[in-house]
Amino acid sequence: MESSLPYYQPHANEVELFEYAYNNQLPVLIKGPTGCGKTRFITHMAAKLGIPLNTVACHDDLTAADLVGRHLIGDGATYWNDGPLTRSVREGGICYLDEVIEARKDTTVVLHPLSDDRRILPLDRTGEVLEAPDNFMLVVSYNPGYQNFLKGMKPSTRQRFISIRFDFPAVKLEQQILSNESGASEDVVKRLVSLGNALRSLKDHDLEEAASTRLLIYAARLIKSGFDPVESCRCSLVEPLTDDLETAEALMEIARATFGK
Amino acid sequence: MEEQVGAFWHRWVTHTASQRHPEAAVLLEDIQKSLGVIFRALGGDGGLKVEASYATDHFGQRTLLQRIAGSDKRVNNSWRDERALLLPPLVDLFADPGLNRDLYIWLAMLAATPVEAGEQHWIEQNRNNTVQTLQRFPGLRQRYQHLAEAVIALRPPVEKVSLSQRITEQAIQEVILHPDSAPPFPLDYKVGHIQPIPLWLVLPPDQLGVQLSQEENGAPPPDSNEKSPTKEPKNKKRRKAERTENPDGKSGLLALRMETIFSWAEYVKVDRTTDDDEDENAEERAEDLDHLSIARDQQTSGPKVKFDLDLPAAEYDDMPLSEGVLYPEWNYKTHQLVKDQCSVIPLLAVRAESCGLPDALRMPARKVRRQFEALIPSRTWFRGEADGAELDLESYIEFAADQLGKYHGEEPSLYRDFRRGNRDLATLLLADLSLSTDSWVNNHSRVVDVIRESLHLFSDALSRTGDRFSLYGFSSLNRDHVRFHQIKTFEEPFSDTIRGRIEAVKPGYYTRMGAAIRHATSLLVKQPASRRILLLLTDGKPNDLDKYEGRYGIEDTREAIFEAKRVGLYPFCVTIDEEGGEYLPHIFGPSGYIVIRKPEELPLRLPRLYAQITQGNG
Repeated sequence: MESSLPYYQPHANEVELFEYAYNNQLPVLIKGPTGCGKTRFITHMAAKLGIPLNTVACHDDLTAADLVGRHLIGDGATYWNDGPLTRSVREGGICYLDEVIEARKDTTVVLHPLSDDRRILPLDRTGEVLEAPDNFMLVVSYNPGYQNFLKGMKPSTRQRFISIRFDFPAVKLEQQILSNESGASEDVVKRLVSLGNALRSLKDHDLEEAASTRLLIYAARLIKSGFDPVESCRCSLVEPLTDDLETAEALMEIARATFGK
Repeated sequence: MEEQVGAFWHRWVTHTASQRHPEAAVLLEDIQKSLGVIFRALGGDGGLKVEASYATDHFGQRTLLQRIAGSDKRVNNSWRDERALLLPPLVDLFADPGLNRDLYIWLAMLAATPVEAGEQHWIEQNRNNTVQTLQRFPGLRQRYQHLAEAVIALRPPVEKVSLSQRITEQAIQEVILHPDSAPPFPLDYKVGHIQPIPLWLVLPPDQLGVQLSQEENGAPPPDSNEKSPTKEPKNKKRRKAERTENPDGKSGLLALRMETIFSWAEYVKVDRTTDDDEDENAEERAEDLDHLSIARDQQTSGPKVKFDLDLPAAEYDDMPLSEGVLYPEWNYKTHQLVKDQCSVIPLLAVRAESCGLPDALRMPARKVRRQFEALIPSRTWFRGEADGAELDLESYIEFAADQLGKYHGEEPSLYRDFRRGNRDLATLLLADLSLSTDSWVNNHSRVVDVIRESLHLFSDALSRTGDRFSLYGFSSLNRDHVRFHQIKTFEEPFSDTIRGRIEAVKPGYYTRMGAAIRHATSLLVKQPASRRILLLLTDGKPNDLDKYEGRYGIEDTREAIFEAKRVGLYPFCVTIDEEGGEYLPHIFGPSGYIVIRKPEELPLRLPRLYAQITQGNG
């Protein structure tokens, strides 16, 4: 990143909204498809507000102890080691739980008291009750598109957050983002965005996920640095989106129609 | 000898006259799926299928040789109607297979361009769409030029075209080569005399016919969509058909011997049962005919079929549990949910005798149970137990820390144990029991037997996991009689009575899927579980006696699935219909269904599938 502030192109009023939420000490939930700029938005906002950012990428085995902390053994004694959430509550700043539905269910228990007006983090193991400082902000994100029958967010958890829905940017905006992120020529950027939107209309019928802005940026970077445009599309757009040979072949045809060969 | 010479001549002359390249042919069926994806990606309607078009006559100029050979009278055009995008079954126009393939791709892309509202001449429409497509996909330009030049090369040189057609032909060639810059097309030309243009879409032939006949009689076109279900031939090639007037009985040829008219026919015992057999060669004959003529009388064939499938008398039928429950139905043409369209009648097989697991299923059941043990990954480590398989290190550290800190708490729980947790799941299995399940999958069993076995093994496996589940079956006979068989509710414990009801399921009637799904949704949504799965087991497309067929049924089912998703259910479809891949993604989404190619595997696969879709950190 060239400047101190990471590049972020607002879609609507989300920057303003986030600032209001921060000033009012409200937790924020961001939902949106993969690669539409959720993480970049948080990084941008943390830099803009001048507060530290602690990111936790959640996974199936992430337990409450992983967030809060645990006792470790050392030198014949045990000592307490803060988890990322605890550290964030102690130091202030944004604690960002990425893909929060991936985490195990018991994690919601520690999130609940933090995300309502109590703003506390009770540490059962040490008997401490941490009060979040004014500049602490809890942000969680998830991708509503994944279809796993056992994963989803409990309504009681969802209702503790200010929710912002992210989607892929409009054509003009996306072109701007692409040229900013990759430095590719206007023509390439236009074609890529048009291709991306064509692929997005296949979601739910032929493709599970829509082509993300991130993938388009990858393609733009490859093309910018001189790699063959059609091949760039193959490896950064087509293959990441589908394993099915016939579908991949069809997507390649659209890529060829976009870049010509 | 004469015949041989004739045959040889015919072969030689048609081969020489033909400007085609069979060795470079590209078949539609090979790239059908890709074309569908391309069509949808460029904005084509997801509800349209891609299928092969039928040949229609053309009156364009043929070469002398073609006229001698009597070949190339008909041509496979491409067009789009409300059900499908129709493309030629094969393209062999060019010697280069790449070009043939490009033509297909071009047609799919052209067809996906949105049609502008308003009446427009078809040539101008094609030109506009071409320009639009090329603007959207600049990379296509070069390939389009190649194709255009190749297509022009197939057309007769302008100088050789008869004088009356020369201007038209020249204009067409100009539009093909330079769609952006060619002058507007001259509109005074004879439509029949244009050489086919493989690069463009034509108007649907029925629309063309209807337009002509409308001009003739000023009557509105009959709605061709409402027809009773018929057996679809395996080869689903569409054929050209026309409507002819039904003879009024007053005029026309009398196909009766005159002497029988004034006599009484006496009853003679003749076995005529074979007369009712289906004509097996009908398909072949239809192939040979140029077009099929279909007369419309005022009666539908519905009542005739209904007679065969009449409802059993009340005393033999299953007991209705309640009055019919009314459900809406989605009309995709008007984009409206029509209220109270269907009546779903819950039924219970009261006469079913309870029985144990059929002997033949004992072995597979044991296998499935074992698989379930291994596959359901809900067994987790439970920490802080008073007793358990091994020491819980973390608890121990805590305990040791407390000891050091001179804090003595209650009885320490220092063990951890590996066992199964409670899964917060409720599953409703809805099985299709329509008459189509009466067909045979192999020499030993019918589809319904396979479904029955699947229900047995599924319920046996689930009853052991402790997951909450219920079983229902459905069939339908028109919209006011959707039969919803209750096999096991969520409240009933699994028992031999349930097994008896599974044994008692039998196939009948049709598949009005939407209404059945809506009723199942209403039952499942009442379950308190945090994950509710609607598992649909079927062998084919939705269909029923009335208009519930083809796209209507599919769109209604799709809407019912959307409704189920909206209230937080997880619908999943398991089908043994090999063609399921064509319409299921549209209904259930790409990961919402699975096609089982070997129906006989279904009983074993179903429980395993259930384990797969429910695994996670429940």
